[in-house]
Amino acid sequence: MSEDLTYEQALEKLDENLKLLEDGDLSLEDALKAVEAARVYLKVCTERLEAARKKIEIRADPNDPTP
Amino acid sequence: MLKPEEAQRPYTVSELSNEIRRTLRPLTAVLLKGEVSGMKRGAKGHYTFAIRDGQSLINAFLWADDARKVTTLPEDGQVFVFRGRVDYWSQYGTLRFVVDQVEFDDVGKLRARLEELKRRLEAEGAFAPERKRKIPFLPDAVALLTSPTGAVIHDLQETIWDRYPNMSVYVYPVLVQGANAPMSIARALRRCNAEGLADVIVLARGGGSFEEMYAFNTELVARAILDSRLPVVTALGHTSDRTIADLVGDAESRTPTDAGSRVVPKKADLQRQLDERRRRLDRDVSQRLARAAERLAVKRQRLLLLLPAIVRRRTERLARAAGELGRLSPVAQVARRQDSLRERGRRLDTAAAGRLAMAANALASRRAPARVERALAGRFAGAERALEHRAQRLVALSPDSVLARGYSITQDAESGAVLRAAAETRVGRHLKIRLAAGRLGAKVDEVQP
Repeated sequence: MSEDLTYEQALEKLDENLKLLEDGDLSLEDALKAVEAARVYLKVCTERLEAARKKIEIRADPNDPTP
Repeated sequence: MLKPEEAQRPYTVSELSNEIRRTLRPLTAVLLKGEVSGMKRGAKGHYTFAIRDGQSLINAFLWADDARKVTTLPEDGQVFVFRGRVDYWSQYGTLRFVVDQVEFDDVGKLRARLEELKRRLEAEGAFAPERKRKIPFLPDAVALLTSPTGAVIHDLQETIWDRYPNMSVYVYPVLVQGANAPMSIARALRRCNAEGLADVIVLARGGGSFEEMYAFNTELVARAILDSRLPVVTALGHTSDRTIADLVGDAESRTPTDAGSRVVPKKADLQRQLDERRRRLDRDVSQRLARAAERLAVKRQRLLLLLPAIVRRRTERLARAAGELGRLSPVAQVARRQDSLRERGRRLDTAAAGRLAMAANALASRRAPARVERALAGRFAGAERALEHRAQRLVALSPDSVLARGYSITQDAESGAVLRAAAETRVGRHLKIRLAAGRLGAKVDEVQP
């Protein structure tokens, strides 16, 4: 499920779970579930931050050598 | 007829041609205004056309190199201001105006055309905010469409990597000026979408005059931006007017630095954001566990306090149950019935006594005593007579009269038994002998049965 999420979506999910934990009247069991979910989304966010590989590539058009 | 003094050595054709060229040399950087006709593109990329006004015509030539640099390519029937020099081609004997720059004759007219295009696009909803694509919060990679040689590309790359050190950047080199620029930009936009290497496009140029920015006001570029699947951020420098590209683009910025910050977040900010959430999460977990442990401890304490009471209650219930069980046993039932019978007996006695008392009362109330007295007097007289008779018999039968006649009665002193035979006693036993008058104590000396 979390594989397809963008950083922003995962962050939103993370915040939803945090809000549930901080405002909600959760049972201990539900709270532990929310914590587990929050940790998953936190991990997704962290992974997204490091996903990009620094590089610069020139994509010249072979049919348009003018530039 | 040539006069002798005039009969100088004639010019050769080349000499005259050179003379003409020399004479025409001052006609450089000339501005020439006229309408274009007969526009033709040569095999080597150059253009030939004629520039004319109402009466005159002059042939014009545009070198391929210059054609790439000019703001716009002349079109038949349009009036332009050309800059160039007059040149004489000696080998063909022709005079040409060699154009090195083309400018719109009437900027006002061009602006009017631009306004018309703007109105058309606006009517289509091309500038509507709801049509704009969302700029990704964190792109996987950024595409830069710009001149590969300018400072713009350097600044963009610098900004992006400063904010996000591991961001990938794809550069699509395009012409940002000149007649071929619109086509070059449109093609690169299409390629960028087709390749899908990046998820946001920055279209950049370092500003310029109205004419230099011409490509970004063309319908070709506007349509290419509108057709783009990927969001397009413009960064066209500080210009007096917003271009159509700015209006149809999904986000507008001016400098490469602006554009960089529009497309790429600061990684350090994101890391701080995540760290803050991680702290909140950890804090919540530890607080929650502490609270749960505390609640458990309280419950345990209460349980310990309640335990004796619970045990007592249970014991009492057990005792009650045992009592119940005993009450229901056969032995107890028999005992209970006996009790019940006894109770009834008592009640019967009481009732009978009551009845008797009641009867006695009833008797009393009927003046019974007098009758009873009479009856009793009768009875007593009868009894007296019977007594008298018996007394007489008693006297007759009494041993006293026999004793009076000289008999005695011998009794064993101990047992009091009357002795009727000598064998009933033995030697040594004490005897009582009753005479008519007095008694004797005696001891047996001899027994003769």
